[in-house]
Amino acid sequence: MLIFVGKRIGFMILTMVVVSILLFLLLEITPGNVATKVLGPYSSEEQRNLWLEAHGYFEPFYVRYFAWLGNFASGDFGDSVRFKVPVADILWPRLGNTAILGIATFAVMIPLSLILGVLAGMREGSKLDRSISIVSIVTTSVPEFASAVLITAVLVFWLHLLPGTSTMSDGFDILQLILPALVLIIYDFGYVTRMTRASMAEVMTTQYVRTAILKGLPYRRVVMRHALRNALIAPFTVIMLQINWLLSGVIVVEFFFAYKGFGALLLEASLNQDIYLIEACAMVAVFVAVATQTIADVGYTYLNPRIRFS
Amino acid sequence: MSKKSKTNTHSYIPELVSKLRKGEVTRRDFLQTATLLGVSAGAAYTMAGMPAPGRKAHAAAKKGGNLRVSMNVKATDDPATFDWSEKGNVARHVTEPLVRVGEDGLARPYLAESWSASEDLKTWTFNLRKNATWSNGDSFGADDVIHNFRRWLDPNTGSSNQGRFSSMTTTSDTGKKDENGNAIMSTTEAGGALEKIDDHTVRFHLNNADLALPESMADYPALIVHKNFDDEGGDLIKNPVGTGPYALKDFAVGEKATLVRRSDAAWWGGEVNLDRISYIDHGDDPAAQIAALASGQVDTNYQTSIEQVETIKNIPDLNIYERVTAQTGIARMHVTAAPYDNKKLRQAIQACVDHDKMLQIVYRGRGGAAEDHHVSPVHPEYAELPKQTQDYAKAKALLAEAGYADGIDLRIDCVANPAWEQNACKALSEMVKPAGINLAINIMPGGSYWDVWASTPFGFTAWTHRPLGVQVLNLAYRSGVSWNETNYSNPEFDKTLDKAGAILDPNERRVVTRKLQEILQDDAIISQSFWRSVFVTANKRVQGLYAQVALEHHYNDVWLDG
Repeated sequence: MLIFVGKRIGFMILTMVVVSILLFLLLEITPGNVATKVLGPYSSEEQRNLWLEAHGYFEPFYVRYFAWLGNFASGDFGDSVRFKVPVADILWPRLGNTAILGIATFAVMIPLSLILGVLAGMREGSKLDRSISIVSIVTTSVPEFASAVLITAVLVFWLHLLPGTSTMSDGFDILQLILPALVLIIYDFGYVTRMTRASMAEVMTTQYVRTAILKGLPYRRVVMRHALRNALIAPFTVIMLQINWLLSGVIVVEFFFAYKGFGALLLEASLNQDIYLIEACAMVAVFVAVATQTIADVGYTYLNPRIRFS
Repeated sequence: MSKKSKTNTHSYIPELVSKLRKGEVTRRDFLQTATLLGVSAGAAYTMAGMPAPGRKAHAAAKKGGNLRVSMNVKATDDPATFDWSEKGNVARHVTEPLVRVGEDGLARPYLAESWSASEDLKTWTFNLRKNATWSNGDSFGADDVIHNFRRWLDPNTGSSNQGRFSSMTTTSDTGKKDENGNAIMSTTEAGGALEKIDDHTVRFHLNNADLALPESMADYPALIVHKNFDDEGGDLIKNPVGTGPYALKDFAVGEKATLVRRSDAAWWGGEVNLDRISYIDHGDDPAAQIAALASGQVDTNYQTSIEQVETIKNIPDLNIYERVTAQTGIARMHVTAAPYDNKKLRQAIQACVDHDKMLQIVYRGRGGAAEDHHVSPVHPEYAELPKQTQDYAKAKALLAEAGYADGIDLRIDCVANPAWEQNACKALSEMVKPAGINLAINIMPGGSYWDVWASTPFGFTAWTHRPLGVQVLNLAYRSGVSWNETNYSNPEFDKTLDKAGAILDPNERRVVTRKLQEILQDDAIISQSFWRSVFVTANKRVQGLYAQVALEHHYNDVWLDG
């Protein structure tokens, strides 16, 4: 197992190095002059050239790449041209905000979708299964921006129950967290529910479960002791992937509710061609993607002993 | 050197009063000209036989409270290089201009206590407030003003104020050549342009007459910073020293800016009502602004988009303020870049446009039709020109003369937000199509668009309101100025612009302005379809608020009721 984990971590580092090179190359060919952004559109060509020279932009690509990589590894991500502060000063708080939103979403979504998925999968084809399946399909089919508009119309404009945006400008306010979390829960729970249901339904048709039922074990015990652990293997991987989605896939929700999270930051960085910020955000996103996948792989092995790795 | 005025009353004022009484000038022309010549707004209104528009009863104003404003919070480091009104709105409460344009569109002394102009309008004397102090305890004075003008006119600062105050600059050959072998010119402060008379009096010596000088001092990049601004880092956010009634407490680009009432010293203007002003950034989604207003998270906003005016009207507790302005958007062409260096092609594009229809389609008729010369009917010197009509036969003929009888493919760059700008490009694209012009639209995020704003051969730019037509002509179309986004250079136009700035009689000025309008329209460097009204939304508890023509925030008199 240790060798396996070591290999996965090695693979993770290799992936990040490759991505960092690709990212650096991509940003090299991206149009837009960083000096213009820093010095403003009225700066002279001479001023811009002086700035570029002072900041090492005339050095060869590989020199700048290794300098950047060294700085990045030591926690110096450079300065953001949009926010006019070190990238780290804006990156970590935004990541923290998205983590709060993600935890709030997961705290409701995971128990809800697992329970509903197991209930549906236990008795495939029953009315309960069909009802849960329809709700799951409908909610997953509605894009976040549409459900965000609908929910805002009802809870903000009509019933006046909740604040309409989530800037948290006066500090953390749990009321401002409800709407973005609700939209994410509604969008995501159906997917995890469907996955859990499919996995549960498959397990419930296996011979060992049927044997357990036929030999007279209580149905509840069959489900809890024999079916559930195996049924949770597939949802576990799906849930791990949702962490990655919550990090950078919630741009629409963060934008709609003006929530100052990581997704919105990634969007702002891209729209403003804020190179150092894009690089840092992308590296964090890649790290989380690779790390969650590694955890999922290790967890999968743990949950399913039949899987063997040499 | 010109004669120097010693008194506050310009010798032309009695003649102007006489013309008003004879009905030879309008009240609006009178008020604008008189106040520019240094007559106080109150006195000008009295001369015109009109009551001065008073602010709502100040006795009723309540003290305290936090005014929460939805607005993009942009980097606000150096006022001299500001390029967005939003930057000015945050900074204006901390550091102030010499002159302010009020609700009625007239220039009023602000950090300047008064001003006077010489007979030939080439020498202007500004008396500064003696009771204004900086938040670091220093007295405000002439050295501060001289320092600001000096850095504005320095090409290394990169300030648009160099164009605003071009009458104080001189252009010379640097002795260097560009890639094409052309001489590289440099514009710098003209010798003797700035004179300190005493600690609270500054005199400006201009190369050419400029009646709009006081108005130019009210523009958002003309906020006055402390004389040690550069020595102390040159960053207003890191070192927010100002003369204004508020101090910057918190600032984060893209998130918020919090201003609190200054406690260290009394503000020269007395006591302001609000304890705090909080700018909150809701991003580029106008829907977020509406949701914040509807749920009471903010009290007012920077601007309400035209698409949302009707929605706002249906929300109780919200007021919407509309203001007819000289704000506009222009599809401008680089006259030095092919194929836009071909005047016939530019004229063909103009001939395709139905200005009234464009206003209806893009801006729901809320504004007025424009005439491709950037002088608005709301400008006092505006001269009405013959109405332009959409004429495809003329457009095709011009296109053929330009060498594109079979049509031409063009591309216009425009910014994604606000939506009306890209809608204007889409409408333009449809209107030029029947003439054989295939106009592709390159919609760009703001961060990318503003990188290429000045260099793109064909782009769409929004321009804010300026009180005088000649101001914007000076900023955008005078040869060599930093905001000249068309690379337009016409000595005749520049000369006529100089002349317009020197004329006191509003009717005579209108005649010269007409010439400027005709030159611009004929040279076809822009396609300008309409002037737009601006809208501001506020909760009904916000009192003393108005939609300022340039969307400037003047919150010193605002208070919260209840």
